[in-house]
This record gives sequence, structure tokens and C-alpha cells, in this order.
Amino acid sequence: MSVQLGKVVSFILLERFGPLVERVGTYLFEYGTNPLFCIKKFTDLPIPKIKESLAILVKYQLVTFAPNKNDSVANYTLHPNKVLLHLRYPKYINMIKKKFGDEAEVILEEILQKSYWTASEVILHVYEKLKKDNKSNVTLPALRDNFVSLVTAKYLIRVPYNEADDKAVPSLVVQDHELHMAPPVDIMELSTNPQGGNYKDKDIYWTVNFDRFHQDMRDKILVNAFTQKFDENAGELVKLLLRQMYIRTEPWTDVSNPIPLLEIKDLVRKQANLKLLNSFFDQYVNVIEQDSSNLIRKSGEASGGSFQIFLKEAFTQFAWEIVEQCVLEKFDSKAARIFRLVKLKKYIDSDLIQQQAMIPAKEAKKLTFQLLEENFLQIQEIKKASTGTGPHKSFMLFHINLENVVRMLLELCYKTLYNIMSRRNHERTVNKRIIDKKQRVDTISISMRSQGATEEQLADIEDMITPPEKEILEKIDKMMKRLNTVELEVDDTIFLLQMYLVYQ
Amino acid sequence: MGDSSEVKTEAVEEVSALELRLLELAKSNVEGISNDDIKEQIPDISLPELTNVINKFLKNGTFELFKTKDKLYYKYKDPSKKTAVKGADNEEKVVYKIIEEAGNKGIWIRDIRFKSNLNMTQLNKVLKSLETKKIIKAVKSVSASKKKVYMLYDLEPDSTVTGGAWYQDQDFESEFVDVLSQQCQRYLSEKWEESVKKGGGPLLIRNRSYATANDVHKFISELGISNVPLTVADIESILYTVVLDNNAERIVATNGSYLYKAVNRFLPSPGLVKTTCGICPVANRCGDMGLINAKACTYFTEWLNQ
Repeated sequence: MSVQLGKVVSFILLERFGPLVERVGTYLFEYGTNPLFCIKKFTDLPIPKIKESLAILVKYQLVTFAPNKNDSVANYTLHPNKVLLHLRYPKYINMIKKKFGDEAEVILEEILQKSYWTASEVILHVYEKLKKDNKSNVTLPALRDNFVSLVTAKYLIRVPYNEADDKAVPSLVVQDHELHMAPPVDIMELSTNPQGGNYKDKDIYWTVNFDRFHQDMRDKILVNAFTQKFDENAGELVKLLLRQMYIRTEPWTDVSNPIPLLEIKDLVRKQANLKLLNSFFDQYVNVIEQDSSNLIRKSGEASGGSFQIFLKEAFTQFAWEIVEQCVLEKFDSKAARIFRLVKLKKYIDSDLIQQQAMIPAKEAKKLTFQLLEENFLQIQEIKKASTGTGPHKSFMLFHINLENVVRMLLELCYKTLYNIMSRRNHERTVNKRIIDKKQRVDTISISMRSQGATEEQLADIEDMITPPEKEILEKIDKMMKRLNTVELEVDDTIFLLQMYLVYQ
Repeated sequence: MGDSSEVKTEAVEEVSALELRLLELAKSNVEGISNDDIKEQIPDISLPELTNVINKFLKNGTFELFKTKDKLYYKYKDPSKKTAVKGADNEEKVVYKIIEEAGNKGIWIRDIRFKSNLNMTQLNKVLKSLETKKIIKAVKSVSASKKKVYMLYDLEPDSTVTGGAWYQDQDFESEFVDVLSQQCQRYLSEKWEESVKKGGGPLLIRNRSYATANDVHKFISELGISNVPLTVADIESILYTVVLDNNAERIVATNGSYLYKAVNRFLPSPGLVKTTCGICPVANRCGDMGLINAKACTYFTEWLNQ
């Protein structure tokens, strides 16, 4: 709950939902859980508007509500991290596209946009949409299968529903077994009655299960890390290990249950593209197991040896690497060396730092205190027993508190996000005239083309944008693209750092 | 060393037959000789003559006088050391002795003052005169640049005083260290690449890419980038910096020595440092208002216009 996060959250709310929702959201961020009349009192908005805003926020699951003590009034709570997830939508869509293909992608996109929807309506909507785009081979059964596979793979889950109507504040519940149960979709009904709303599953709503996506992202990070450190085969091996892990382990535990090696070996043998891994299987296992990172360890000899994945430790190490990289980029390699030295020694005296890092005394001192000033290092003072006063009365030991540093970097990430967004907004306002003009010209040329205008006429309209203007437009375009990519990349860092905090 | 041996021969020429006999007697008795010993060994000597000779020896420092059990003993002292303080007064002798005891580690002026009980001005004078006579020298210690330590002129300072191979005078040669650590890293990564090229399975690749400090030492010596002879221990400490830079890992071999190997990182550089904000020196002061803000940020502008 930081100021920076609040700024980012209100920015996202403003961009996605407009100023009214933003005011309510920001109020809830600043003051925490609050009932309606408090929101009214402090935001000074008309009650209907606030209700509308809250409805929107609740719909997108950014705000949840809970009854107060005597069950009469609802208290609203904003979940800032859920708001941040809006930045990750392109990634989710991309993941589904890669895994399930284009049709599933459109389904997910629609659900993300609506937040929740019934299966029948989504399928119909996507069907219509794809047909409009002239994709001839779309069929309703195929779409239904896609939807069902998204549900069974737990990318979509059932939205909690209200069972008893008599309470002032509804309590929403959903049974565990209902979460991933495939919806009853009647294709016949859909095809015969595409306009009617009274389908079999009319009260069963589905929403996106972000946790499942994060699990995939986490696995991908792990596999990529092993690929980067060793090679592709090692990455494949870890991928298989993770896949087998899910059979017997909860997805978010710190340490996986032991995974028998024979299972993996069988899997490798069956796959034709893993010949190299197959022939050197034992060696790869050996190398990964004996690596100093110690993320995958042997737990027993039963059934040809079984292995455990230490997920918590993995993300602790990844967090260290990120922090080290940040120090490296911010203060250069010598400071990074000092930082890693302090990390390895846990507690270290400044004289020892100079000696072991092989950096001249003065520079070492300067860098250490710079790191201290920027809160990457901490000081622990230990008083000497015998001496009274003077400069040598205590030892100064440097150490690192990783969690603090991670939180600090997370803060910096939020700040960066905010800066990127406000800069993008700024560039948009500065160049508003020219962007608007471009849009006007584009719409005109599109409508002219649909009316059957000649090439000459179209060229005339295109010429309304002068060459210097074109140049500026190109520049803005490049700038926006750059800002957008970096926004996604910063979000990657946020994800990794949050993973570390999740596992703490 | 040159002039002290000259002084020695001069001294030997001056001595007479009696003196020679006395000297030999003293040399054969390391414990020292008493007046009775002299009378016994060299009976044909008159007392005034003997007194003259002994006084002469005591004066030029060939003999040392000391007292055990109320008896006076003369002890022979190597004139090659002694002659250095020839013509020195008592204070100088005392200070010289203290400095001599300190050996090649040297001794700090404050400690000399405590041991000799001389006051500051006097001690300074004595030290200065010894220094001009090239009997002692002042060496700056690397651990504290203001601190001077004194030691005998012809001694080679200890590596704790000079800092070893990494120091030129009192300055740490960081460039030298940087070059060496780069070369060590290059050696390790080349070794790794080579073993990857050779193939033969991941285990073989890993085992082939390990290098001992000796291997690296040999490689560095053959390169000839260092004028100073480096020891294996020096190379070990350089290799440790490579480990600290996260470019190598260190494991303990079965015989207790260290093995080094180039390694990759787990993660590519994070997205945060790809932006200007992640590495911005004034990020703490950046806000919506004021001179430092995202809208007018020059770092941003530069980066966007790249």
C-alpha cells in the first residue's frame, strides 16, 4: 500500500473506466475498507454515481464487499493488485493464443472485456464476431470445445453466486466442485435460437482465473531460467519435472513433493524431439542436481531416485539476481561486486570489503556508502566492550535485508509504471492536434473507399497530411510502441518480485 | 649492503694483534665473556691495555656490555650491523635497536616513542638523522596512508605493509586488477566454450570447463601482462572477484583446493533496468511537481529519441 501504487492504480482506473470510477477507487485505496455513506461523504459525489462506479468495480472484481457486524451494510474493499493485472491482459491473451489457438484467444478476450459471462452467450458472440471477420471454418461445437477445454484447464472458473436472497448484503459462494465443472451448453438450442436469451446455463457465469495464468508464467520463468543457465535440454527436463509435479503437488507450495525419475525418463523416451536429452538423461539430472544453485534436489533413492523442486528457493534466488542486476546497472560493476560480497558473507566489515573485492580503499568506501544511502545495504553496529569513546568504539558491519530491497524495487517499478503512463499521456496531449487530424483523415479515406472512390481521390486525401506531419506521426508512433513494450517488461519484473513476496 | 661490508673491512684493518685475539675469544663465546675469562685465556696482558681495547670495542659497538649476577660480561656483536650506528649517540642507538626489533613489518613512530621514552622533538631529530645516514627508512603503510612505519634501510617491507602485488607505492592499482580479472574471466569462458564445442554430454562439458588457480596462473604468466611476479594466491584472490561478479562459480575439489568455472545467469536483465527510471540517479526526487518530473524528464526524452 504505497503512494506510488496508489498513483498507478488511479491512473489505470482513469484510463480504463473514466474519472468517476477513478475517484471512488482512489478513495477506497486511500482509506481502505469503507461503506457507501463514507464514500459519499468524502468524495462528495451523488449517490447514484457512486453506486454505479461501485457496480463497475465490483463487476470487474476490483472491489469486493462484505457485510458489517449486523449484516445490514456492505463494506467495500479495493484490491489494488487486481487493478494492476489490467496491464497484464495482453500477456494472458498471448498465452492462450499460443496454447489453444485463435478461437480460444477471442473467447478469453471477450471474457476479459466483460469480466464475466455465461458460456452460451460468449460462444454465440464469438461465433458472430468470427463470422463477420470472414473466418469460414468456425463452428459452434468447436467453439464450445474450446470453451470447455479452457474450463477444464482451469483458465476459466465459475463466478460465485448468491444462494439466499433474504439478506441485505448478499454473500456469494461457490462450491469447490462447481468451479471447474463444464457448463451445460446445448448447441442445438444456440443454433436454432441465436437471439433468445433463455439458455440452459443462463445463471452460470464464468470469469478468468488469474492464478492459473500466474502459475503458467511462473513455470515459464523457471524453464527459461534453466534454459539460460544450462541449455535447452535442461530446460525441457525442468518443464517435464514441473508437469509431473502437478500430479501430486498443490501448485503453490514452497517445495514440491518428490517426483520419481522413471516417470520423466519414460516421457522423454516417448518424445522424438528430445533425443539428446534421452541419451544424456542421467548426466543432465546429475548436472542440475549438483549445481550450486541447489534448486532441484534428490529426495530419495526409491524407484530410480525421486526429485524435489524448491520453488520458494528458486524465486528467492531470482529475486537476488534481479536486485544484483539493478545494482549493476545503477552503480556499475564494482558496486555489484561489493553487493554480492556482502550477500555471500552475510555480515562484513568495511575493511574486509576493500580487501576481498579488490577495490581501492577510497572507492570501495564510497560505493559501500552509496549503496547504504540508497538502502541497498544496511548497517549493523556492534559495540566493543572495553573502549569508551572515540571512532573505534564499535564495529560497523554491512548486511542486506533482501525483503526490504525487493519491496523498495517494487516501489521503483510502480514509480516507473506511473512515469511511463504519465509520459505517454503527456505526449498524447502535446500532439493531440496532429493525432486527431490523422484519425480524421483515416476515417475519411476508409469511408471514401467503401463508397468506391478512385485512387486519385484517395491519394488527395492522404496528401492532407504534410510530410513534416508524417514525420512527427512516425516519431510518436515509435515512442508509443517503445513505452508500451517497456511497460510490459516492467510488469515482468513486478511479477518476479511479487512472486518472491508471495513465497515469503 | 655494499657500504656496510666496506666499513667492516676498515674496522678489521685497524685492530691490533691483541684486539684480534680478544675478538676471537669473544666470538667463540656466544654467551659473552667476563673479565675472569679474559684473564684466563689471555694471561699476558696488562690491565690498562685491556681496558683501552675494551673501551674501544664498547665505543664502536663491537662489544656489548651487560650484567648478570653482579658480574660484567662482554658480548660480541656482528659489526656489519653495529657499524651502521658508528658515531651515533645513545639515543640513536636505542631507537635503532627498537626499529631493528620490528623487522620488516616496521614500527610506528608512536610505538617507538613509548618504547624509548624519548620526547617527540628529540625522537624526530634522532629519526631524521638516522634517515639521512640511510640507516633506517620510512615506509608508508597501505592500510593507512598517513601512517608511516620505520624499518632498517636494507630490509624489504612485508607484504602487509606494501599490500603485495596490487600496490604501486601506496596506490592500489585498480586498472591492473581489472585487466587481470578480465583475463581470468576470458580464460574461464574460453575453456567453457571449448568444452561445449568438444561435446560429449553435459557432465563431461561441465567437468572439462573447471579450471584450477594453477591453470589460470600459468595462463596469466604466459600472457605476460604483469611485470610483477604473481603468486597462485594472488590469482586466487583475482578469481574470487570474478566469482563475485557472478561470472564464475567456485567449488571445492576433492583435494581441498578450489575449482573455478564460468557460469551463466538464470535471468536476462530485468525490464526495470531497461527503462531510464530503473537506473535514474534522481528517481527519489521525481514527482508530479517540481523540476524533476516524468513529463519533462531529459533522460526519458533522450531515450525515446534514440
